[in-house]
Amino acid sequence: MNYTFQFGVALESLPALLRAGILTVELSFFAFWGGALIGLAGAAAKTFGGPVVSRLAQAYVVFFTNTPALLQIYLLYYGLPEVGIILPSFTCVLLGLTLNAGAYLTEIQRAGFLSVRLTEIEAAETLGMSLWQQIRFVIVPHIAKTIYPPLANMFLILVLGSSMAAVFSVDELTGTAINISTETYRWLEMFTLVAGVYIILTFVASIMLAVVGRKFFRVKARMF
Amino acid sequence: MHHLKITNLSSAYGKNVVLTDVSLTVDKGQVISLVGPSGSGKSTLLRVLVGLTPPTGGTVEIQGELINYNSKSSIKLSRDRMAIVFQQYNLFQNMDVMGNVTIAPIKIKKRDRKEVEAEAEDLLERVGLADKLTAYPDQLSGGQQQRVAIARALALQPDLLLLDEVTSALDPELVTEVLDTIRRLASDGMTMIIVSHEMGFVREISDQVVMMDEGRIIERGLPAEIFDKPTTDRAREFFGKILRH
Repeated sequence: MNYTFQFGVALESLPALLRAGILTVELSFFAFWGGALIGLAGAAAKTFGGPVVSRLAQAYVVFFTNTPALLQIYLLYYGLPEVGIILPSFTCVLLGLTLNAGAYLTEIQRAGFLSVRLTEIEAAETLGMSLWQQIRFVIVPHIAKTIYPPLANMFLILVLGSSMAAVFSVDELTGTAINISTETYRWLEMFTLVAGVYIILTFVASIMLAVVGRKFFRVKARMF
Repeated sequence: MHHLKITNLSSAYGKNVVLTDVSLTVDKGQVISLVGPSGSGKSTLLRVLVGLTPPTGGTVEIQGELINYNSKSSIKLSRDRMAIVFQQYNLFQNMDVMGNVTIAPIKIKKRDRKEVEAEAEDLLERVGLADKLTAYPDQLSGGQQQRVAIARALALQPDLLLLDEVTSALDPELVTEVLDTIRRLASDGMTMIIVSHEMGFVREISDQVVMMDEGRIIERGLPAEIFDKPTTDRAREFFGKILRH
């Protein structure tokens, strides 16, 4: 390889990259929690909704888990203005990522619902717990422990997936890297640096998630 | 007054009749064992008593008070007096041993945590698990889990303890430790209804043995009478089969 790395310009843009990193974290954070709420509703619909509601939820999951997230965002980006909804790029991307995550999180949370053991609920009942107490002391902790690892995984996938926002000129990490590179022509250095920032982001997130998982949910999470 | 009085109790799942006209009385301090083939209604009877399966007819009185199984508050009151231990232990996997034993007294009966925990330590000592307070169910053997389940039931200070095939899921070498625990409870005067296939144990511990078949009580009496001189063919056939090995 004859390429000579010159990290000078790339390193100068490090502060800008870190600022952009905040946007990346924001995107993935909101998409995750929004998706978790959609997923909760979806999982409830699939598990307890009658034939109609559960099929609607299933159709949503099938569509969003069988088409690329990028395409889904494109559909929103060009489709919504046609029906009179004009959103800023950031919001549009966030919406797309959220809907996409919601579909996966539906399946994850449904697995959580199904993992609750009827026998534990019966034990709770005979100990005199009300429905609310059963939910609070038995059902939710049980679901939380079961779904914590896939949830944590989903969050990391979203951190990386938020780079799709660059296509829609949202200046998160990847977008910012593209912008700076078009001025400096140091593409390779820039993206090497950005790769490092992504790794640091997911590294920190993994450790935080593992610590929280071990402490609160007794999840034996691997750090890597 | 009988401690527990069951009169003509019946139950059904849809069209399947699982209990028919079961009548039974239990006096304070007595140990009653229910025996009989699988599907004879023994476990169903216990489930009806604690309100997990609704009865379709008959009455249950505990210490003279009628339990109304259509009323949540009445069932709740009955659960203050009766505790059940299940075949599969049914411990809360997300709580340690101490948590399993103390959750109901603390969170449901709103008793003082310190007091309950002190009692729980005594109970766990009694079932031989004083050194496992902070272990989680998945770190315990089946026999240990079942003894935690017994301690959890006892923490409610029940007047009546129902044991539903508590050794059936255990490896043979773990059965003894659980049976020893139950023996100790019996000698402490705990009133119990036991569903069990451990015939030697049943014979030794019971004040009365009740044999069920197809949802009915077909024979009852002292252990020696039932085991040695069963009067019905069905009972003779059943004991013939299980006592042979």
